[in-house]
Amino acid sequence: MLFPSESALRVDPQAVAGSRDYDIVIVGSGISGAIIAKQAAEAGKRVLVLEAGTGANRSLVGYDDLLTTFYSAAAKDNQSPFPVNANAAMPRSPQLRKLQAGETDSSTYIVQSGPYVSDTTYTRIFGGTTMHWEAKTPRMLRSDFKSRTNYGQGLDWPLSFEEVEEDYRLAEQEIGVSANVEDQSYLGQTFPDGYVFPMRGLPLSYLDQQVNNGIDGTSVDLYGRIYPLKVRPYPQGRNGIPNPAYDGGRGYRPVGAVNTHQVEEGGRCQGNTNCVPLCPVQARYHSGKTLAKAFRMNGKSGQPLVELLPQAVASKVVIDPDSGKVSALEVKVYEDPRSPVYETISVRGKVFVLAAGAIETARLMLSSGLRSTSGLVGRNLMDHAYLLNWALMPQICGTMRGTSSTGGIVDLRDGPFREKQAAFAIDIHNDGWGWATGAPTSDLLELVDDRNLHGSDLRQGLIDRVSRQLLLAVMLEVMPVESNRITLDPQFTDALGNMRPILSFTVPEYTMRGAAYARQFSRTVFARLGAQDHTSYDRSDFGYVAYEGQGYAIRGGNHLAGTHIMGTTKTNSVVNKNQRSWDHENLYLVGGGSMPTIGTANVTLTLAAMCFRSGRDILNYLH
Amino acid sequence: MHTHSSIRTLDELKEFLHGAMQLEHATIPPYLTALYSIMPNVNQDAAQILRVIVVEEMLHLTIAANVLNAIGGTPDLTRPDFVASYPAYLPDGETDFEVGIQAFGREALATFLKIERPAARPEHLKAQSPLIHRKSSQHKTVLGSHPRNKDLHFYSIGEFYAAIVEGIKELEEKAKREGQTIFTGDRSRQITSEYYYSGGGELFPVFDLKSALDALELIIEQGEGDGGGIYDDDEHELAHYYRFEELVKGRYYLKGDKPGHPTGPPLQIDWDGAYPIKPNLKVAEISDGSELREATVAFNHRYGEFLALLTRAYNGQPSLLLEAVPVMFEFRNMMLELIRNPLQGHPGLNGSPTYEIGKNTADPYAAHRAEAAA
Repeated sequence: MLFPSESALRVDPQAVAGSRDYDIVIVGSGISGAIIAKQAAEAGKRVLVLEAGTGANRSLVGYDDLLTTFYSAAAKDNQSPFPVNANAAMPRSPQLRKLQAGETDSSTYIVQSGPYVSDTTYTRIFGGTTMHWEAKTPRMLRSDFKSRTNYGQGLDWPLSFEEVEEDYRLAEQEIGVSANVEDQSYLGQTFPDGYVFPMRGLPLSYLDQQVNNGIDGTSVDLYGRIYPLKVRPYPQGRNGIPNPAYDGGRGYRPVGAVNTHQVEEGGRCQGNTNCVPLCPVQARYHSGKTLAKAFRMNGKSGQPLVELLPQAVASKVVIDPDSGKVSALEVKVYEDPRSPVYETISVRGKVFVLAAGAIETARLMLSSGLRSTSGLVGRNLMDHAYLLNWALMPQICGTMRGTSSTGGIVDLRDGPFREKQAAFAIDIHNDGWGWATGAPTSDLLELVDDRNLHGSDLRQGLIDRVSRQLLLAVMLEVMPVESNRITLDPQFTDALGNMRPILSFTVPEYTMRGAAYARQFSRTVFARLGAQDHTSYDRSDFGYVAYEGQGYAIRGGNHLAGTHIMGTTKTNSVVNKNQRSWDHENLYLVGGGSMPTIGTANVTLTLAAMCFRSGRDILNYLH
Repeated sequence: MHTHSSIRTLDELKEFLHGAMQLEHATIPPYLTALYSIMPNVNQDAAQILRVIVVEEMLHLTIAANVLNAIGGTPDLTRPDFVASYPAYLPDGETDFEVGIQAFGREALATFLKIERPAARPEHLKAQSPLIHRKSSQHKTVLGSHPRNKDLHFYSIGEFYAAIVEGIKELEEKAKREGQTIFTGDRSRQITSEYYYSGGGELFPVFDLKSALDALELIIEQGEGDGGGIYDDDEHELAHYYRFEELVKGRYYLKGDKPGHPTGPPLQIDWDGAYPIKPNLKVAEISDGSELREATVAFNHRYGEFLALLTRAYNGQPSLLLEAVPVMFEFRNMMLELIRNPLQGHPGLNGSPTYEIGKNTADPYAAHRAEAAA
């Protein structure tokens, strides 16, 4: 898949400001904006995509530069490949610390107002957070769309699973999901007759198989109901073996690496363990692949239909007071990531789409003074809460082989227990204890510094330690709570003078009850595996939460949602079921922020599906 | 001895297709070695261009195997002469030229350009014999030679493939007249796109005349281009020759560019950014008993096993290609070891893979040692 040459892509800020013929102006080049841009271009519409980052990584060389940065980084966190850019700053988890009661920490990009400190991240570069995502693509369950009705918890969606199902298939096509229908048909999930995923399921890792050997056929009892256990493969947005039966036997054509100059790689998953933060061969989907298709489409005059303006940070949504419609976007275009020098341009279009992620979209709305009729902009912030559990397996399990996560324990994603406590899905991490302890670096330091090992003893010590590591990452449901939210304060601004997001968050009790159970559940699994539990949560941990006399370190899942939820009326929600603002008819707020609940599904597939729906609505509006 | 240039029997066609597989494989060791000789963090553009070309050569090898399978042949990459002895020779019109194993650099690139350059026969030579007597030494591999007489080679790789295309057409026509077909191969032996994809073309099953001709056309176009245009048929893909030329010119081609005049963005080449391997190294030149020698022999052994695995994959077990993936990582690591270590007795030069596969000469002292031990 080729990007057009650099010269065709380069747009001049002044030309953009002077242009009066954009049908759609999109803020953000992540998967939401990319899908809408591609759909619009297919319908012959003129689209401008604004990207806060430099856009350098849209060429293969630029992408490889990110890899080099990652390889040479001392701490391999989610954002380590992405150079610091104060003009488009992003949260970086290693910078966090625990808050004292009532304290606010403004030393990081997201101002942490507590009481819970979240290490949640999103990526402000070309491709958005799909540049660092893990690419697990489970669908939400049918019951997830009706959790208020079914369990008296959270909110119901204004959409049913049935209304979203077809768009799930479009999203699976766009991402190029590798999965087998038979593996995903659990907990009542159904697929249309004859449906196959674009690519065949990726195999479970050896570690997954070892865990499965220990638990398959066993079960747990929760509130009097039996839940059988096994390790199931996750559907994944990475290139595997195209399924010849896809699309009625027409097969599926995967997208390899994107680039500018005929130096394409095959882009098939090679099992590298650093999917997060960056796949070395672009086997993992990122929205640059969707945008590459969009950028290639030309209008009748031969001019590209989709333009990209990088280094452009949207700073204000301007509303026409008479019509209530958006008349323009104010955009700060900076010259250089190392300098705060910028010029402000005004961009006009017929429809405006804010696709900057749940936090940045809310930030832009709030900084424009647009709280919405419901007053819910910025509220109901959600992110999956992760509880990490780690143990040493009795035998060598080949940890560190295979992609970040290939399988997990997902049979407690649903059940009547959800009336009382959060559902969860468990990822088995092929990269060992890394997320919890900093392994394998931490193991190396311990073996050298504390145990004085060297030579073959050290090598054997590392093998013995690392290849037996098992990390169960429990991903817990978090329900919408209005007081969990993003706010702004003029005293906290970034390099361009834009107000930074302030995060106020309390992990809901519903989630903590699930976490407490998940801890016991993990101990049960470890016991069945004969694995030695090494889990411990430090009181000084920034994410430490006490619940019923026990303490837990809760981690963010980077599955941000809920800051502009969809609903049935302008008083109970910010957007309608097509993600169109109730208050401003030519404004769409798209992405995770529209989700009223997130269940136990990583949010990307669902928000991608919703963007197909919005894309159609936008085209209808324009006609 | 006279050898006709046209293909008259199915067995002859099979031999030509084996020759095609040998030819397509023969460019892989030089390209791969040059690719892995590049030092870390330099020559990224060159590494990407080399990589994509070598991946396409693997596609061509597999396509040739598909065509051979389609006519009921049995691809065999373990034949003793399958891997060329380097330096090998490729036809270049009236003469031939050396293709060796060497590090990335100006010389290597000059050879690669020659490999990929379409050699069109000038008008005044058109009437002459299609086969040329070899100019190179008798003991060297000449690729694109006549399967029955290694002393005669085709004027160009293009003409070698043209002979195959003609042979297939004629033999199929003849079979059709008798109510038969030459495409009798078991379709389950075909390698399909499930096992290969990139921007550089697709693997499709070969089962009739049309699919066979499409397959061969893909090989011819990607390699040589089709005489003139810098892009292949659908204006999508840059022919290999022009990809290498981008490196020489230090600039990328854009669509619409004239041959020899790329107008795209510049690219950086560090001509010293490659490990100085000794060209066309042989195991016998490496000190006996040294670790480097052991590693070189181990690589040859592993590469031979890889070709045996491919042979099984091409003979009815396509899914074995998945197992071949980690083996390719493995021998990449083995090659990097050879390339990044000094060669004793040759100051300033490093080791290199020797690609002496399936030959007892790979370790002439092994028998000796075994004897001594016995």
